[in-house]
Amino acid sequence: MAKPVVIVVGADKGGVGKTTVSRTLLDYFNANSVPTRAFDTESPRGTLKRFHPDITEIVDMTTTSDQMKIFDTLNAASPSVTVIDVRAGLLSPSLASLRDIGFLDAAKSGQITFAVFHILGPSIASLDEIAETANFMQGAKYFLVKNFINNTSFFEWDQATYNSYFHRIKDATELTIPKLNEMAYEQVEVASVPFLKFVANKGRDEEAANYSFVLRGYVRHWLSNVWTEFDRIKLTDLVGSGKMGARMGEK
Amino acid sequence: MHITPVYIVCSPRPLVGKTLVARQLSEFLLLKNGTVAAFDINLKEPSLLDYLPQTTETAEVNNTFGKMALMDRVIVNDGVSKVIDLGFHAFDEFFLMSEEIGFMKEAARRGVAPIILFLADSDRLSTAGYAVLERHIPPTALVVIENEYVVRGELVESMAHGRVLRIAALPTFLKTYIDRLTFSFTGYLRGEQDSSTELHQWIRRNYISFRELEMSLTLQRS
Repeated sequence: MAKPVVIVVGADKGGVGKTTVSRTLLDYFNANSVPTRAFDTESPRGTLKRFHPDITEIVDMTTTSDQMKIFDTLNAASPSVTVIDVRAGLLSPSLASLRDIGFLDAAKSGQITFAVFHILGPSIASLDEIAETANFMQGAKYFLVKNFINNTSFFEWDQATYNSYFHRIKDATELTIPKLNEMAYEQVEVASVPFLKFVANKGRDEEAANYSFVLRGYVRHWLSNVWTEFDRIKLTDLVGSGKMGARMGEK
Repeated sequence: MHITPVYIVCSPRPLVGKTLVARQLSEFLLLKNGTVAAFDINLKEPSLLDYLPQTTETAEVNNTFGKMALMDRVIVNDGVSKVIDLGFHAFDEFFLMSEEIGFMKEAARRGVAPIILFLADSDRLSTAGYAVLERHIPPTALVVIENEYVVRGELVESMAHGRVLRIAALPTFLKTYIDRLTFSFTGYLRGEQDSSTELHQWIRRNYISFRELEMSLTLQRS
């Protein structure tokens, strides 16, 4: 039986695109026919749940009962991948909780596949989080996600600063999320549907929608670039699923 | 299924005759079909809107809202032929956007037939622009316009391989005549009794070329 996979998406800073990246992950697994469930820690009102209501549950990760809801069901639950969208500021405390309940040890011993997508913002403060988070990363796959929500350069122009952050952690993999056209992003927000459904011009309940062809094109192009990054890091291998021919969203 | 042609008249260079071709093509389609929708993406050149205000609207591709307003209409298979007079300043942005949003593929899916009418010139910019189009546009949808008034001598070799539509040069006094805002090609054909005049024959020759282009479109589809 495949090992359960837990992917935590987080940052200690708000507005860097955690939920956006979580949404692209859910779409990616959906397109690759990987059964997935998600937890949204923006309790009580979850953004992720708005886009993926069928597979998302809102939880408060600071409570024991909700921690049980997520981690005690890992083996029992049929979906092989669990994506947790961690609320801003809660990444380090959440990882500390995972360490305390022995989850990180289980990952280290290979019982569970654990990956962290650390979304970086365009500030030194955001880069400082890397060192803090790295303390918990033994046994986990650590992805540093440069989310180009604006035209930030992530200090590439200052090699010393860049190296001191990005080369500090051994085995961390860098990932780039390109910028999505603002209007396209907003239109998907208004539609409140997964990116895949937006591209397919469908509404929440699979009904035909009437989204702009231009904006759908931009989303399709962007999503394809994001997925190319996921392919590059062999995300399907990580979750123990080979790529099965043409993906749903690429047909 | 009927198809809706979308003619994109373009060049990365100014003053090569884009608006002249767009004008004449629009008038031809209006004469043939009784309807046409023309879009003027020119801010810095003689404007199609000035010549055909009844059938032309302005459009822009330098912002997302403008792109939506244009492309969401152009992609509709409504039986109304479209003509886009693409200004040289918008050349790169338009085709970059088309590539990104998958315009050609979606058009084929919907029964819309984009035809790129590329105004040839012998300079480096035109050669590079054409090379970009060749990479992204199927040969059946790419037509080189050899405007004799601009291309003096042989066409650049790379442009001579595909389909070429030739527009003969007019004497300067006739060129000045047709450049008047009040001039109508169809109006001239209807009003001028003497069909042997140079201008009469020039307009007819071009209309025949456009008709052949339309017919080849139908044949390709069938």
